[in-house]
Amino acid sequence: MTIKSINGCIGCEECVKSCPCDVIRMDPDSKKAVIAFPADCQICHLCRMYCPVDAIEMSPEKSIPVITSWG
Amino acid sequence: MTASAEKSTMNRREFIALTAVATGELAAFGMSGWAQNKLELDPDSVTNTDYVTDVLVVGGGMAGLFAAVKAHDAGASTLIVSKGRLGSSGLTPFAKGFFTYDPAVESMSIDEFTNAISRSALGTNNPVYTRQLAEHSLARAKELREWGFFDQTLANRPFMVPIQERGIPLIERVVITHLIKENGKIAGAAGFRLDAEETITIVAKTIILCTGAGAFKPNGFPVCDLTHDGTVMAYQIGAKVTGKEWNDGHTTRSVNPAACYDNWGDMFNRIPSTNGVEVHHDLGVDLNYRAYVTGNPVSGGPGGGPVTEEVAGGPFVPEEFQRDFGPPSGGPPGEGDAPGGRPDRGGGPPPGEGGAPGGPPGGGMAGSTMGGASAGMAIHKAEGLVPVDDRCASNIPGLYAAGDALGSYMSGGIYTQIGSSLAGSAVQGAIAGEAAAEYAAQSKVPAIPDTRLKEIINDILAPLRREEGYGPAWVTQTLQGIMIPNFVLYIKRAAMLKAALAFVEELRDHHAPMLRAANMHELRLVFETRNMILSAEMKLRASLMRTESRCSHYRLDYPDLDEENWRAWINIFKGDDGSMQLEKQSFDSWPLQ
Amino acid sequence: MKLNAKSCTIIAALAVFIGLPLLIYALGDFPRRSVLKETISILTLLFFSLMLAQFFMARSNEPLLKLFKPKQIQNVHKVISYTAVGFILLHPFFIVLPRYFEGGVKPLDAFVTMITTFDSLGILLGIGAWVLLLLMTITAIFRIGLIKRLQVKYPVWRYFHGGLAVVFVILAVWHAIELGRHTDTAMSVYFITLPVIGVALLGRYYWRTIPHKTAKAPAIQGAKS
Ligand SMILES: Cc1cc2nc3c(=O)[nH]c(=O)nc-3n(C[C@H](O)[C@H](O)[C@H](O)COP(=O)(O)OP(=O)(O)OC[C@H]3O[C@@H](n4cnc5c(N)ncnc54)[C@H](O)[C@@H]3O)c2cc1C
Ligand code: SF4
Ligand code: SF4
Repeated sequence: MTIKSINGCIGCEECVKSCPCDVIRMDPDSKKAVIAFPADCQICHLCRMYCPVDAIEMSPEKSIPVITSWG
Repeated sequence: MTASAEKSTMNRREFIALTAVATGELAAFGMSGWAQNKLELDPDSVTNTDYVTDVLVVGGGMAGLFAAVKAHDAGASTLIVSKGRLGSSGLTPFAKGFFTYDPAVESMSIDEFTNAISRSALGTNNPVYTRQLAEHSLARAKELREWGFFDQTLANRPFMVPIQERGIPLIERVVITHLIKENGKIAGAAGFRLDAEETITIVAKTIILCTGAGAFKPNGFPVCDLTHDGTVMAYQIGAKVTGKEWNDGHTTRSVNPAACYDNWGDMFNRIPSTNGVEVHHDLGVDLNYRAYVTGNPVSGGPGGGPVTEEVAGGPFVPEEFQRDFGPPSGGPPGEGDAPGGRPDRGGGPPPGEGGAPGGPPGGGMAGSTMGGASAGMAIHKAEGLVPVDDRCASNIPGLYAAGDALGSYMSGGIYTQIGSSLAGSAVQGAIAGEAAAEYAAQSKVPAIPDTRLKEIINDILAPLRREEGYGPAWVTQTLQGIMIPNFVLYIKRAAMLKAALAFVEELRDHHAPMLRAANMHELRLVFETRNMILSAEMKLRASLMRTESRCSHYRLDYPDLDEENWRAWINIFKGDDGSMQLEKQSFDSWPLQ
Repeated sequence: MKLNAKSCTIIAALAVFIGLPLLIYALGDFPRRSVLKETISILTLLFFSLMLAQFFMARSNEPLLKLFKPKQIQNVHKVISYTAVGFILLHPFFIVLPRYFEGGVKPLDAFVTMITTFDSLGILLGIGAWVLLLLMTITAIFRIGLIKRLQVKYPVWRYFHGGLAVVFVILAVWHAIELGRHTDTAMSVYFITLPVIGVALLGRYYWRTIPHKTAKAPAIQGAKS
């Protein structure tokens, strides 16, 4: 499902800032990034590419039904 | 960090997501329709911060960058606010080809270039803006090179170089929702922060909208953070907007259609580069027409194999710009404006033609082509605010727009020059920045009555105060279902457009006012959803009005070019009674003011 | 190899310090990544556990001293120092290395962001552990000169080295649990258990040696490490 998991996060917030769709937020307790709104992920990988420790794993699948023009 | 960040752990989240998919119970995603508003914050404790500036730049893409830098350099106090991060929001992060007109290497003169674009665009381009692009692109590329833009994949760091050097204030993750007009002139803007329970009001002498384009949060094109916010906000305060009948024809793959990154080959990993003149007529709706006539799978798309048989009829491509429908590998060098984007036409990534990026890799991959990847988006630079001069000014004094937010018709109603979208945003941003600074130097700090500000803040917070209402994600999906089908958005005819309009009016009148939000993220979705509904109405009305087919606008009931009646653009504005009004503005003219 | 006490010990050591972490890694529910990234991860895990093994390649491990010559143990301790410790010292760089080969943040930029994220406990622990490890390694390499220069007795050096090791391992394991991509519960238990035993051995050894400082030297000439 879209952005899939975060492992080894150091809590730098780069992904939170770099996500155009506001999918990721910081957990105030653990001070680590959490996938807060996966339904809004556009699978663009910016978060993954900005993460300094490469903590983010992606999947090409969308978590909500996909509407296209035909098919 | 924020009150709305949720506390549950990753695994729980994944679990929720998976079960939701498995059971088809979308409520877990806030996808439910009408429901109780499970508020996560207290709307009454939301605070407000105010700012004052000469020039307010809204948007942190290529246009916003140059608007801010040039406004600052022209002596204006400048503030940038952006919904996302500088260089990591909007479309700018994904564009890798930057057009430059270098007189030292080009064989075409600027006049010849402008004429070629006009021929390909069937007159829909505004030659003043086309020429401006060619004249300034090299200088912008040079600055970008100095900042390191052509040295790395990601744009944020290079974009921060000139901003930090100049100490230009930048507020990221702020959603601007309202433009404020006082005494007929621009006076400021308002919005809210995603990361804090805070609204923001900004008093500004002048505003440059660099808010990019927008779409219906479609699948397969990274435009889901843009919903024509600038256009709709400006429309609400009386600006004229244009270009809504055109369609960007990007497609995606049928396997995991939403996976932008995967479907664009290695495009998102590339380091930007420049490219020279290459005029085309691309990325309109001919593949949509093919799908409409022949059904799926559409050949010629990624994995679809080469196009074998011609389909009769369909969008008209001027002979000069017609292409051989070659086999997928080694297809035409680059495509349209967007990086070769057009995955049909045997769109293997061109072998680095002038550094112009290619589209998603062609044939051999699993699955066929799906339409509607960028549904809701028109051709870059064709839709947006109507310029009243060659310096990006709108019909509202003090309000400017640049880049994808300006309906400059730089390339026309079809993509005509590779890499020109990114370069056009840079060029127009710079011009608008200077023009706005000049305007600001001659005007006083506007005053906005407190009552007006209070009213706006209340309007912003209203969805949080609603005890129950429609979920924005659900309304968005409903809108997608109405608008995205090929036979509504792309292959148009009056009956279908009218039917869709009835649905959209329903959403506009009975859903948009009753959207609920439980946190700042959902509040953003509420405003985006409303903007999409209005954009949909604009698209349908403009499409109905243009009773011909031209460039990326195709009508089944009016399949031909109508040179007699339609050498004109369509402007949309809010009438005195609040209703949506449309007017024609003939090609090669400026709007009457 | 004949199955005797020595070979059994070697096999057991390999099983505990290499087999076990590999097993935990293999059974763990981690996303699998590119060959380069997985290789770096596995090597980091293995070298980390080998570094924990250093506690057992020491004079405090009395049963081992009965089986092997102190020189042999000392050599193993040294080899691990040069490889495992070297790798662990470099592992912050290995984390950003794959960025050379893919689109994304530049390795150097990533590195700077990483080591300047000071609000992260895990990063602070990591930097602390890294500095300690470097200090331990450098002082170990120059210990002969240092001992002479500072005119201290050899056992003092030993306390110094052992003491640093204890502080280091606390920081390092905590760091690994806080940030480790592959530190799930099983791996955490493993990372805690090993040093607890190691430190206990050390404690027992020091406990025994300290009160008898004036008495005769320990019977066994242990690994000088
Ligand atoms: C995949 C892809 C590939 C492309 N390839 C190329 C290419 O190779 N060459 C080329 O020339 N063009 C290409 N394009 C097009 C090009 O990216 C755009 O035309 C250009 O980047 C637009 O820049 P902009 O600054 O005008 O808008 P954008 O980059 O879209 O920026 C809009 C900004 O406005 C902000 N914003 C929006 N709404 C609000 C709001 N309500 N409040 C506050 N801020 C807001 C956003 O956060 C964002 O920062 C490509 C586009 C895509 C998607
Ligand atoms: S893939 Fe893109 S949209 Fe999804 S979380 Fe990452 S940055 Fe956000
Ligand atoms: S960018 Fe990576 S390390 Fe930084 S907060 Fe996000 S996931 Fe964590």
